[in-house]
Amino acid sequence: MSHLKKRKLAMSVVAVAAASLLALSGCGSDTGSSKNSAGGGDSAITVFNGATGAISENWNPFSPTMLQPTQGVIYEPLFYYNLAAASDPQPILATAYSWNDAGTELTITNREGVKWSDGQPLTAKDVAYTFNLIHENPALNTSGLNATAKATDDKTTVLTFEKSSFMQEPQILGNQAIIPEHIWSKVTDPTTTINANPVGTGAYKVKSFNAQSYVLEKNPNYWEAGKPEIDNVQYISLATADAASAALVAGKVDWMSSFLPNLKQMIGTQKNLSYVNTPAMTTSLFSCSNAALGCKGAQTDVAVRQAIFNAMDRTQLNKLAAGDFAAAASPTLLLPERDKKWIANPDDVEISQSADVAKATGILEDAGYAKGSDGIYAKDGQRVSVTVQVVAGWSDYISAVQVLTSQLKEAGIELKSVQLSYNEWSSNQTKGTFELTLDSIGLGASDNPYYTYQPRFNSSTTAKVGQDASTGGNYARYQNKTVDAELAKAASTEDAEAQKASYAVIQKEIVRDLPYIPMYVNSTLTEFNTDRATGWPTNDDKYAFAASWKSWDNGIVLKSLTPAKK
Amino acid sequence: MRFYLQKLIFYVVALWAALTLNFFLPRWMPGNPVDILISKLSAKGPVTESTRHALELLLGTNSDQPLLLQYLSYFGSVFRGDLGVSVTYFPANVTNIIGEALPWTIGLIGVATIISFVVGIGLGQLAGWKRGSWLDNVIPVTTMFQAVPYFWLALVLLFLLASKVQMFPLSGGYDVYSVQPGMSWDFISSVFYHGALPALTIVLSSIGGWMMGMRNMMVSTLSEDYIVTAEAKGLHPRRIMTSYAARNAVLPSLSGFAISLGFVVSGSIVTEMVFSYPGIGSALLTAVQSNDYALMQGIFLVITISVLGANLLVDLLYALIDPRTRVRA
Repeated sequence: MSHLKKRKLAMSVVAVAAASLLALSGCGSDTGSSKNSAGGGDSAITVFNGATGAISENWNPFSPTMLQPTQGVIYEPLFYYNLAAASDPQPILATAYSWNDAGTELTITNREGVKWSDGQPLTAKDVAYTFNLIHENPALNTSGLNATAKATDDKTTVLTFEKSSFMQEPQILGNQAIIPEHIWSKVTDPTTTINANPVGTGAYKVKSFNAQSYVLEKNPNYWEAGKPEIDNVQYISLATADAASAALVAGKVDWMSSFLPNLKQMIGTQKNLSYVNTPAMTTSLFSCSNAALGCKGAQTDVAVRQAIFNAMDRTQLNKLAAGDFAAAASPTLLLPERDKKWIANPDDVEISQSADVAKATGILEDAGYAKGSDGIYAKDGQRVSVTVQVVAGWSDYISAVQVLTSQLKEAGIELKSVQLSYNEWSSNQTKGTFELTLDSIGLGASDNPYYTYQPRFNSSTTAKVGQDASTGGNYARYQNKTVDAELAKAASTEDAEAQKASYAVIQKEIVRDLPYIPMYVNSTLTEFNTDRATGWPTNDDKYAFAASWKSWDNGIVLKSLTPAKK
Repeated sequence: MRFYLQKLIFYVVALWAALTLNFFLPRWMPGNPVDILISKLSAKGPVTESTRHALELLLGTNSDQPLLLQYLSYFGSVFRGDLGVSVTYFPANVTNIIGEALPWTIGLIGVATIISFVVGIGLGQLAGWKRGSWLDNVIPVTTMFQAVPYFWLALVLLFLLASKVQMFPLSGGYDVYSVQPGMSWDFISSVFYHGALPALTIVLSSIGGWMMGMRNMMVSTLSEDYIVTAEAKGLHPRRIMTSYAARNAVLPSLSGFAISLGFVVSGSIVTEMVFSYPGIGSALLTAVQSNDYALMQGIFLVITISVLGANLLVDLLYALIDPRTRVRA
């Protein structure tokens, strides 16, 4: 009897094990909607765009959680803004646009002969429908669009704004996917649809999807003759940067953007790998600069910020923290290479790369600071000691702070650092509860400095310490009436020369006040495998922002590729 | 019958307490899912001042409902199987996300835990039966594997067996480059191939405890009077070992097994991170990093239910194999 029972127990354990195995193997069956494997076509490439973990299907171009190729690869904008090089907007779905003098009416002429991937033609009605849909659904209106659109004929759309809106231009023309009216007018809720089987004008359409990867295939109806040339593009999810770099070396991934410190050695040993560096984001020490809004600490004194600015040895920082891939920054926070034409004072194009300790200490002494016995400057019993917040795990930033600590010590400034989780760090930044925080100035909507200056320096985008500053906004709590006035002036005109005059005034103010202390323009490294496809952007020809995570640009790169000759 | 009823009531109360905690804990956490989403979006492209307003409307995070009403409606939706909408994977349902991740975790960690238990108990039984044999020398080795931190053991094995010798794949649940999920041999074999190394590390790191516990219980059980009686009656030694000694010796290990079964779901984070394995652990990490309340709640719920369920199962099994627990003391 007892024998039997024991055996029953053993049997049941085996049964549980078998059942779990079945459950495991069965898990894929419901997600596998694919017809062919990725390599089914003639030419195929694999892209890693930074996706980690399970991927959730979402091709809704209005959704904040859409899959990245939705913008640019499947749906297209009216114009393409290349943020990697100085260039004019390139016509995509539109061929021309014009403003009325008051900036309240934008007339868009769309391209003829464009077809949706289901064969229907694109007309001005689709363009007007897209913008009206956003206007009618506040939950979709992430850009603050305040315009009604009307198609006056098959190829002309007129957007009417309530007030002068020149500065909405790149958002409307370059950052909005145009959707087909005949499909979306039947969608019951455009905010929550995942838009399975998207119908777009882009070079590719969805072929198959599962939680670890998805495949896009060539859109045979694409308007640009002969493009794209690559038949299939597979996007995959990898858990870590290590897995990604292993996959690149093994030739499994053709296109990815990761910071690989040993990149130069890797490229040296493998002839089929290449890379492009598009430095775009200015790594800066953001300071809580304004005591009037509640900021505390030595950095609220402009002399301290200027001293920090001058005491940085940027060559050393670049070598030790940025893998020697970073580019020189501009004190105007614009990009020296791309934005030279916008920088008024030639001295402000690039920061001196070596430290000027004498100048730094001179500034402090002129401001009434005296060196204490511990080698740190102090005034009225207050030592010049500031704390910088960094995200735990951002190793390049952490080493930058370590290098900076010893550099600033030579200039008599004490720098302490604290590592926080991303969520806490980010929340501190919006609320202003920091002295210094290491972050970068992100890309604007176009290369016009307005999109760098307006969010970061306008006093309307800040708030008292303890309250949330606006999105992507003035975390430095900077307030300057001159800057506010000039920004308003620049926004009211389309004339680049008049804008330049305003920016010259702004640059003078911010280069002196330094609420954001620039360090360097951090690298954006993108790695390619040229075995299967060629025609990638290069350091000499940055026809698009090459990063594999960048929306819009993805579509431009993919349609410029050609299969490698065997 | 009364025994089972009592157990049932206990589990219902425990479930209620867990669900209540589940509801309140994320709401006490600092942070805001919209902020996290915005700062992630701003790293990739321009965001404007209107983005926040639109996102709040979209995600419905501006709830003015009183907490008590929210609590009641939360209970209602949990029993309808509706765990809400994830912010990270908006507009996907939490149920779907968990449903996709769970089979991987249960498959890998569950099978590995069961293998580890079965093998450990078997070896421990033999080691206790034949004291002083070579098996006794295996025990210190296995406890050493248990003593080193799990992530370290996993990383070393990953380095040796996947990077240096390339016997196993480096990461992932299956070969994403060339295999499509489905009921095909290619996919199933790929899953087994990718799961082998993670499973091996789990077995290695946990088998020592089972072995040692079982061996020591065997030793003390073997000195009981009824074993001497059985031997005196001339029963076959194998029968004495399995039905008389092992059956009694395994009881404490069984309750330990129940607890470890419950932790199959929650204890998988490190394994899944080291091996880049898709599953509940990776999903939980994503949820925490994005302050995704609904997803966190959903995963905690699954963890709670699995711990309670495993305990219930063992309670019932225990009653089956050890009749003493059925009788009220």
